[in-house]
Amino acid sequence: MALRNAVLRHLRVPVQNLAVRGSNQSQIGFLGSIRAFSSHDDHLSKQDVVDRVLDVVKSFPKVDPAKVTPDVHFQKDLGLDSLDTVEIVMAIEEEFKLEIPDKEADKIDSCSLAIEYVFNHPMSS
Amino acid sequence: MSGVSTAAYFARRAAQKERVRILYRRALKDTLNWAVHRHIFYRDASDLREKFNANQDVEDVDRIDKLIGHGEAEYNKWRHPDPYIVPWAPGGSKFCRNPTPPAGIEIVYNYGQEDNP
Repeated sequence: MALRNAVLRHLRVPVQNLAVRGSNQSQIGFLGSIRAFSSHDDHLSKQDVVDRVLDVVKSFPKVDPAKVTPDVHFQKDLGLDSLDTVEIVMAIEEEFKLEIPDKEADKIDSCSLAIEYVFNHPMSS
Repeated sequence: MSGVSTAAYFARRAAQKERVRILYRRALKDTLNWAVHRHIFYRDASDLREKFNANQDVEDVDRIDKLIGHGEAEYNKWRHPDPYIVPWAPGGSKFCRNPTPPAGIEIVYNYGQEDNP
């Protein structure tokens, strides 16, 4: 019994502070105001949104990644088809777990509109 | 009739283009519903895109209307009975699950003291 306790004491891992995700900028004030892995505090920062949207657009096979900036127009600057814009909007929906209604999705024509829409949507994650 | 470019013609073409885009969007989502695994989905999505591209140079407005009608009939035939909808969107499982209570309703914390207010 004493041997078991001695072994356990030897193996006990010291308690560490939980590392909170870096993107969560609010302070660790009253314990419990932030929960890691909760889906409710999932507010994206604008830079995050921009990075992810640009990644989605760059990984589209018909797009030249060097030309992609946060304010490209899909049809005018990148030379894409209207069906290609539909595909890009669907890829953005999948990336941010959103559901964009058909009429809204039709209006998204450029990177800046997409970034704005995703950033202002309350449920994007 | 003879392809004269009036405002009405352009308005009609624009409406048709919008119908085509919305149809393509719904058909693509439907394809994803049926073909869950991505490698199958990519194959089916390219087939769908080929079908749309084959008709993209048609100029006759009535023929375009007919083609769109055919496309929508095909789409209605192939609609998935249990599509994936994001949970918080209308039709999803979390939609209206926890609505915010109306303003003015609050909880009175007087458990055990209801008899003597």
